[in-house]
Amino acid sequence: MAKLNYDVAIIGSGPGGYVTAIRAAQLGFKTAIIEREKLGGICLNWGCIPTKALLRSTEIYRHIKNASAYGIKVKGVEFDIKKIVGRSRDVAAQLSQGVNYLLKKNKIDILIGHGKLAGKGRIIVKENIKEYDLVAKHIILATGARARTLPGMEPDGKLIWSYKEAMVPNKLPGSMLIVGSGAIGTEFASFYHTLGVDVTVVEVLPRILPVEDEEISTLAKQLFEKDGIKIMTSTSVVSLKKGQKNITATVENDNNSSEVVVDRVVMAIGIKGNSEQLGLENTKIKIEKDHVVINEWCETGEPGVYAIGDLTGPPWLAHKASHEGIICIEKIAGKEHIKPLNKRYIPGCTYCHPQIASVGMTERSAKKDGYEVRVGKFSFQGNGKALALGEPEGLIKTIFDAKTGEMLGAHMIGVEVTELIHGYAIGMSLETTEIELIETVFPHPTLSEMMHESVLNAYERTIHF
Amino acid sequence: MNLPSSLGTESAETDLSTNTTNAQRIFASPLAKRLAKNTGVNIHQIKGTGPHGRIVKRDIEAASTGNVYKETVGLSQKSSNVTSTLPAMLPTGRSYTEIPNSNTRKIIAERLTESSRDIPAYMITVDCVIDRLMEMRLDLNGRSKEDQQAYKISVNDFIIRAIALAMRKVPRINTSWTENAILQYDNIDISVAVSTSDGLITPIIRNADQKGLAEISAEMKQLALRARDNKLLPEEFQGGGFTISNLGMYGVKEFTSIINPPQSCILSVGVGEQRPIVIEGALGISNIMTCTLTSDPRTVDGALAAEFMKVFKSMVEDPLTMLL
Repeated sequence: MAKLNYDVAIIGSGPGGYVTAIRAAQLGFKTAIIEREKLGGICLNWGCIPTKALLRSTEIYRHIKNASAYGIKVKGVEFDIKKIVGRSRDVAAQLSQGVNYLLKKNKIDILIGHGKLAGKGRIIVKENIKEYDLVAKHIILATGARARTLPGMEPDGKLIWSYKEAMVPNKLPGSMLIVGSGAIGTEFASFYHTLGVDVTVVEVLPRILPVEDEEISTLAKQLFEKDGIKIMTSTSVVSLKKGQKNITATVENDNNSSEVVVDRVVMAIGIKGNSEQLGLENTKIKIEKDHVVINEWCETGEPGVYAIGDLTGPPWLAHKASHEGIICIEKIAGKEHIKPLNKRYIPGCTYCHPQIASVGMTERSAKKDGYEVRVGKFSFQGNGKALALGEPEGLIKTIFDAKTGEMLGAHMIGVEVTELIHGYAIGMSLETTEIELIETVFPHPTLSEMMHESVLNAYERTIHF
Repeated sequence: MNLPSSLGTESAETDLSTNTTNAQRIFASPLAKRLAKNTGVNIHQIKGTGPHGRIVKRDIEAASTGNVYKETVGLSQKSSNVTSTLPAMLPTGRSYTEIPNSNTRKIIAERLTESSRDIPAYMITVDCVIDRLMEMRLDLNGRSKEDQQAYKISVNDFIIRAIALAMRKVPRINTSWTENAILQYDNIDISVAVSTSDGLITPIIRNADQKGLAEISAEMKQLALRARDNKLLPEEFQGGGFTISNLGMYGVKEFTSIINPPQSCILSVGVGEQRPIVIEGALGISNIMTCTLTSDPRTVDGALAAEFMKVFKSMVEDPLTMLL
């Protein structure tokens, strides 16, 4: 059995693990990364990236179907679901290879197999008959998370799908029930609906996209419904009865129960940390609500063992994992001027149609925290570029602390907003007040002008509305 | 009582723009500047903890709540969780008026507590016969002409000059203690205590050893005036290698002061008054001024302080030597 010695060993090669490994190597640590599936983790292989590839196909399809509105005649538009999925897999594979290249370039040892803690500073990695025995001064757990399941509604890969099956359909079902209206649920709803599947979304809470600002949720629901997606809020799925080729879901709303018959059910009800089979039982590592408990420096209860990313809890976002990893390894390296991750500044993006993006507090959470707020809003209808694009639906909402001018949050819905939100993220991270945003020159004609107008609106200075 | 050199009293609005034409540009986030303005925290007093030492929101919050005020300007190397650990003794069953603490007041409290607690100070006292100095002062002031550059030199101006020259002769006085080394300053910069409505502040006569009495006198008047109007720029009160505190105008005979960190010494000057004196076995009357030097023995040994005071005393008593 090979005996290996490292400064840093990282279990999991998702956007948390591989980014941390590269930074560790930059800092001069002898580093190993352990992966039991594919390099890049869920994000690259089964999450962020392949779904964006799928949604790009539906976006193009939607544009082509709508081409006549732009004066273009197109006849006989068709799509090939196998090719759509194939392209998505190719993009994922290309990126996974990219991670492999980056890790090698940084002289990081890649150990394929299942890693498990085996006493102080020791990891055993098993892959079939091969086994590695590792000693590392610092061990970083970055094993991510997986889909949560409900008893009696576990995905079977045939009639009940998890995100994984939903990402690689062989052929399209006629109808689909999506359980859960978070980012994953709404993205699949957009994808399948655009391709002609009869989609129903069920959400147990009173509104869809529950982490977003209420106003954005409300507008999103209106736009989805206008597009033809059926949405049932404050509704829970009581049972799923599998038939031969379809499935009967019993749903309950206000004690009124009804039945929905669909070809497929997609479960998208949240995720839980991959904290099992890691050998954590014999350590001081604490697990609460399926997630490893860490402090602000990503330290677990066990000296020398750290945890980052989805494994440690919400927000379950790739960029949060990467940033946590960098803070964690720089702290280990004793770098100066490191500060804990400020979770308020982590933006979130959903790539449904229309897109949704946000950073910071919602209006409700700001008020709940005692802020006296100033709220600005600007509708896409007032923006020249949005009209030229033929995308007049959407809203940019900004929230400021009325006393200090601190930007507390920004919320957007509309075309390409996922590419706009970083502007506010930079501003918030630099501790902007309304003045700097008002003084910033936004280029004309762009969608970004709405970011300016929304801030102006918060201070009763809107020009174009 | 004496005062810290970094006591800022100028308005927090000074230099809140990010205008780079101002030589005193403060690197602070827009939000930090806004918060400083709202809470009355003097942004010049704050050490930033953001990237490249930028002052950010949390620094202003810490300063305005007063619980993690960090070392500001100067060379103090000490760690700084400086607020008193003693619980405030609140009066019970008595009526009182609450006078809110200004930010300056909080900084005075903090810095002086720190100095008193952390610096092992000791005092040396000498009596100086200033008959000749008084004569010389009268003579000089009599020569001041309205049409030329008029001056009116005070006893304190003489003391500033005497201290500056004595520091040139005994440079080890002009030092700061740090963990690894004693830092001896190249320039002779003297902080002079000025009382203002908002507390004490110590404007600085820079390169005092290179300035004549008239120049020192004029500069001091200017600084004191601006200090009382809260108009000093940070560089006018931050730094300095030695502090002079003079309570003679209140008739105080002698007193001691608290060292103004990171400096090593502070001189307390009492009133110059006629006192009985024994000269060569006969009782006489002379103008006598009592001066007390408080020193930090980590940098200034007792013998060194005594040597310094001897040089100072000889200059004050024989002011003609100040021309040399």
